[in-house]
Amino acid sequence: MVKKLKDMKFGKKAIVRGIDDELKSKLAGMGIRVGKELTFKTKQPIDGPVVVEVNGSTTSMGIGMADKIKVEVID
Amino acid sequence: MKLLLIGHPNVGKSVLFNRLTGANVTESNYPGTTVDYTKGYMQIDGEEVELIDVPGTFSLDPKDKAEEVAVKMLKDNEDSIVICVIDSTKIERGLYLALEIIEMGYPVVIALNMWDVAKDKDIEIDLQRLRELLGVPVVPTIAVSGWGVKELVSKIKDAKPRDISKIESKVEGTS
Amino acid sequence: MECEIDERWKLVDRIAEETVTYGDGKTTLKDAIAELTVKPLTGLPIALAVLYGFWSFFSAFAGFFTDGFFVRLFDNHWLPWLQGVFPGKGSWYYFILVGDPAAGNSFEAFGMLTSGLFVAIGIVLPAITAFYLYLIILEDSGYMPRLAVLIDTLLHKIGLHGFAIVPMILSLGCNVPGVAATRTLQTKKQRFMMITLLAIFIPCGAQLGVIFSLIPEFAGIILLYLLIGFIFFGFILHKVIPGKSPEILIDIPPYRTPSLENVSKKLWVRTKGFFTTAIPFVLLGVGLVNVLYLGGVIDWLAEALGPLLTTWFGVPKETVGPLVAGFLRKDLAVAQLSAIEMTKYQLISSVVLVNLYFPCIATFIMMMKEGSERGVRGVLEILGGSLLVLATVLFIWGGLLHLIWIMMGVA
Ligand SMILES: Nc1nc2c(ncn2[C@@H]2O[C@H](COP(=O)(O)OP(=O)(O)OP(=O)(O)O)[C@@H](O)[C@H]2O)c(=O)[nH]1
Ligand SMILES: [Mg+2]
Repeated sequence: MVKKLKDMKFGKKAIVRGIDDELKSKLAGMGIRVGKELTFKTKQPIDGPVVVEVNGSTTSMGIGMADKIKVEVID
Repeated sequence: MKLLLIGHPNVGKSVLFNRLTGANVTESNYPGTTVDYTKGYMQIDGEEVELIDVPGTFSLDPKDKAEEVAVKMLKDNEDSIVICVIDSTKIERGLYLALEIIEMGYPVVIALNMWDVAKDKDIEIDLQRLRELLGVPVVPTIAVSGWGVKELVSKIKDAKPRDISKIESKVEGTS
Repeated sequence: MECEIDERWKLVDRIAEETVTYGDGKTTLKDAIAELTVKPLTGLPIALAVLYGFWSFFSAFAGFFTDGFFVRLFDNHWLPWLQGVFPGKGSWYYFILVGDPAAGNSFEAFGMLTSGLFVAIGIVLPAITAFYLYLIILEDSGYMPRLAVLIDTLLHKIGLHGFAIVPMILSLGCNVPGVAATRTLQTKKQRFMMITLLAIFIPCGAQLGVIFSLIPEFAGIILLYLLIGFIFFGFILHKVIPGKSPEILIDIPPYRTPSLENVSKKLWVRTKGFFTTAIPFVLLGVGLVNVLYLGGVIDWLAEALGPLLTTWFGVPKETVGPLVAGFLRKDLAVAQLSAIEMTKYQLISSVVLVNLYFPCIATFIMMMKEGSERGVRGVLEILGGSLLVLATVLFIWGGLLHLIWIMMGVA
């Protein structure tokens, strides 16, 4: 099931399927790329940032960015 | 000879810098501690060498002022050798930056720092193979304890520019 | 270009595939804490606990050294001895160096070698040592980026983002490194806002230390008023200043146990910095104010600015002396204020004023330096812009507090 990263549930894992072009290289530098597996750690209330883990490193990004990433939930 | 410490934020560049030069620049456990460059001096085989601690950067396309300083240092010191510091637990993204710098034509030595943390996380890295594929010196280090730092220094003189297509064909050739 | 990037990543993947194997890294205690401190339900209470922990630690540490040791040392030994042996009672140099010959404690004597030394060493030194120690542990443990995530929602509403907490927290130690740390913010708008807001609203460790030591009962209200001002004017600046406000995007490092070696090294470097840069300025500040007193300048200023101070801000005109000292050191200014006869509401107002009215000289120079990278224009932009905001904030926020007191019927 493909959905937006910001709509994921805590603790779920997913594969990154698509990232908007403008964000692509910026996120890649931090290790988040299409095809990578990520774990959704937390989301702060009132449109706060999300926290994800990819390859053992943890990244936090604003909800607007999480809106531009598509993921396929696997578990 | 001039040396630049380049790498992602929070990988241990400043710890390495202090260890090598005896300086006291701030080391902290958050990305973006160093926001300006610092010059220091060290001895290699009796020769005085300038070493520069640089702010961390995620890419060569800077997104803030600290990263701008990093990219500018690289551009302004084209005759320098780059010590590319990589967090061994985040090796892929570190290698990406290293490849970019190699492509720009800099002689590069890679320090696989945080080697202790990688060991704790059961991450195994085939150093021999990595050296073969990249064709540049690769040295595991633990900057906080000093482990591997001597070897790193001894490998600096082996750094030379490496053609990226050679790396590509090495990688192709094996699979 | 795009293709080149993808190609490079492909190469990285091939290399990594061949050389790296990830074991099933076990979850450690640090990982568990890492999760708890960043989840909102547990993270916010923990953040409050960290703040409370700071307060307790600070009170215990600074209280122990200041009240338990330095007050006795200065009041029972240093002051009487100095008053006894120092020649020229009644002369101008006695006034500048020792101050009031009849003073019963080092604090109210107002000389360079009495109040100056006591404030610098007896009050501020223990305070900032406690402060730096706690700060360094926050820096080295890896907690700061987590705090950034927790506070992002609020800060993004005013055009900054969570990582702005780093310059803010560093400013609580000293505004100078705080200004430097704004370099990690992405746009010119965010950097300008942050530099301006922190120069106006964030008290430095030395100043906080004096507040906590001398007027602890008002510390809460003073800080709250400044915090609300920070958010309120931040919101307005966000609306008024053109430019982009990008979202947070940060790497969160794992927790690490701070090493004794690094903690003590940093503490030493910073305390040494305090000795070499701050203490001379505190002494200079006391000296300068005393010289200006002798020359009649302070009295003249008090007369000239008196109407403004008393009618608009509601503070006595005697606060002029400390306000002048505040250009050099705000900690000193607060200490001098607490020795002036006034109501507690006036004291709160005047401490707030000292905070707002002008960055200390060191911060001011650092602001110019940050602007100077874009030449004269950059300097003018940052100084002109900041000073304009500063003057506006000073009048509105300082005046409002007076208005609040009037409405409460206490002014
Ligand atoms: N366990 C372990 N920790 C390390 C090692 N090297 C550095 N550290 C820690 O990693 C953190 C970051 O070190 P710094 O030297 O400040 O990192 P930096 O690369 O200069 O970071 P920026 O200035 O932000 O670019 C500090 O808390 C160090 O103590 C290492 O080899 N092993
Ligand atoms: Mg650094």
